[in-house]
Amino acid sequence: MASLGLSRWRKYVTPYLFLLPTLIIMIVFVYHPIVENFRSSLYNWNTFSGQENWRYVGLDNYRRVFDDPIFYTSIKNNIWYAVISVAVQVCFSLGLAALLESTLLSRFSSSFFRTVLFLPSVLAVTIIGITWMLMLNPSTGLVNQVLDEIGLAAVKHTWLGEEGTAIFSVIGVSQWQWTGYVMILFIVAIQAIPHELYEAARIDGANGLQQFWHITVPGVRETFLVMTTITVIGAFKVFDIVWVMTAGGPNHASEVLGNYLYRVGFRNDEMGYASALAGVMFLITFALSFAQIRFNGTMSRETE
Amino acid sequence: MHRRRFGKLLIVLVLVSLLVGGVGITAAQDEPVTIRFFHKWPEPEHIAYYEWVIDQFEAEYPNINVEMEAVADEPYKDKIRVVMASGEVPDVFFSWAGEFSWKFARSGRALPLDDYFYGTDWEDQIVASALEPYKLDGHLYGLPMRINAKFMVYNKQMFEDLGLAEPTTWDEFLAACQALKDASIIPIAFGNEFPWASSHYIGDFNAKLVAPEVRSADYLLEADPDTLFTDPGYVEALARFKLLNDEGYFNDGANALQHSLARASFVAGRAGMMFVELEEFQMIADDMGADAFGYFVFPSGTGGAGDQNLMTGAPDGFMVSAESEHPEEAIAFLHFMLSPERGEEYVRQLGIPSAVVGAATEETALPLVVDALQRLNEASGMALWLDTDIDIKIVEVYLPGMQAVLSGSESPESVMQKVHDIAVQVQAEAATE
Repeated sequence: MASLGLSRWRKYVTPYLFLLPTLIIMIVFVYHPIVENFRSSLYNWNTFSGQENWRYVGLDNYRRVFDDPIFYTSIKNNIWYAVISVAVQVCFSLGLAALLESTLLSRFSSSFFRTVLFLPSVLAVTIIGITWMLMLNPSTGLVNQVLDEIGLAAVKHTWLGEEGTAIFSVIGVSQWQWTGYVMILFIVAIQAIPHELYEAARIDGANGLQQFWHITVPGVRETFLVMTTITVIGAFKVFDIVWVMTAGGPNHASEVLGNYLYRVGFRNDEMGYASALAGVMFLITFALSFAQIRFNGTMSRETE
Repeated sequence: MHRRRFGKLLIVLVLVSLLVGGVGITAAQDEPVTIRFFHKWPEPEHIAYYEWVIDQFEAEYPNINVEMEAVADEPYKDKIRVVMASGEVPDVFFSWAGEFSWKFARSGRALPLDDYFYGTDWEDQIVASALEPYKLDGHLYGLPMRINAKFMVYNKQMFEDLGLAEPTTWDEFLAACQALKDASIIPIAFGNEFPWASSHYIGDFNAKLVAPEVRSADYLLEADPDTLFTDPGYVEALARFKLLNDEGYFNDGANALQHSLARASFVAGRAGMMFVELEEFQMIADDMGADAFGYFVFPSGTGGAGDQNLMTGAPDGFMVSAESEHPEEAIAFLHFMLSPERGEEYVRQLGIPSAVVGAATEETALPLVVDALQRLNEASGMALWLDTDIDIKIVEVYLPGMQAVLSGSESPESVMQKVHDIAVQVQAEAATE
């Protein structure tokens, strides 16, 4: 029967029709470039060489990645970025959110601090980078002058100019910018927790810390996991703030993967090697999100 | 929390592939022609000058339309390479002289200009010595717009107060630094966040400490692989640079300071000297007064094997794309811009010496600039900017090495060892291509 066949056909095809535009965009702008990137990582080429001059080198570029000391410096810096960001942006800002939502602060001061802490995240990264560069300037910057005034001259540093402190100064600025933003997301999550739970806990005699630990933390678990993943992945993709503040220097000490990739590709003009770096970076972020999705799945199944 | 701003990796790749796949615009014969002009001076005063040139040009050639784009110095280095590889090449574009421009020439992206230039009246209008760095294998690929060189400027008042004369040897220079330091003044303002700043020092030291033929063979990678960058003069160059730093003659935290901020501290009278480009003289004069500062040639190489009469500097100029669809119009625009009238106006508006013959006179420029230009004419030649004169892969090892020497984490010897290693590698790669 023709009409039945048609309607069945419709039933199967319609959802795919709706998916098609997205699918096409995803293929053109996401999946195709990933494949293309892998292909171009197998060649040595630069922006001047036409396709006919691409020299096939197999997996040499990947081998080179794992022999490259700057790659390891970059990975190390990315890991520091991730660890510190999770500690500050996720854990610490959850504490801040709980504090601002608690009864310890008046309504006024809680909304005051909420605004103040959130403000940095609406500023452009470049502006923040340049402003902090001025503050961290070794001789005229505010930071060293304050350290001088409070008798901590011994801990003064050329923050962005020393190989030991450059990346941590940049990471610090990044925390300053984003902690308030994550905090707002936690506040939203906390507000979604039913009030009765807190009331019941108070009746049972739970103190603030116990309430935080047994109600707030489980209540925001989903947000917590999402924020952790986003922060970690973000830490591996970071580019702008590092580029603005140190450009990876001095002597590659504050290089991160995104930065190094850009430098290799667009400054040194080694597109094949840059593609290999991009491939490695993709695998790292892919593995992290995959792990998170699996982990998240297990967690929500447990709570059900 | 930096994720969405630069989901960069894929976006960049997609953009690049779009650029590569882009299609050029073809115009019919009688239709107005648009030529694209790309340079590295987005500062308002420069833009004003170029807009003035373009307005005049378009008035004289009504069927040609000039589209200008400018990005700053550092990003230009990245952007021009990508743009040149795309389908939408600019017709006229800025390029540093030396290796930076030769790369375009070697890959056939730059139009040889010999036929348009030699034997015409244009030839007599451009300073001949400024053409050399744009020549490759006997062909001319670029035309200089202006001439730039590096000089040490000093605060006259401070030198007078301390009874210091303009130093003419390395030892006198060190003595002057020490005297300033003893007077609690920062001897030399130095901003090296972007390490091209130290490459100007090292380029100058190299030119004067390494014999010219040795240096040229190393820079062009024509030397025997075993000897590439092994001349002791290179180590000495880094060692002298390190000495200036270790003795406290540079301001603190040079690696974290931008060049422009260092200049601000010189202008504000916090530092006694600074190694600046001729084009910065006007800016300094605007901020601290033309009589407040003097200049001398940096006596960096006393006792070295190099040519002491070389000047570190280079012409800045333009090239025409070989893929330009309107080469005639592009050349016409270039000729119009690099002519006596426009050259004089360039000097008058911006205070920067033009490469057009006779453009910088007492009437159009600061006396100090005219004087420095005279010194430049007496020099035996120019040592080009190190960071645009050698292969970029070597630059990317050499310049961070200079930062490492400054911060004390590497010795001059170990940096030169790394430079040698990468040079050998680049030379071998070039041989296989």
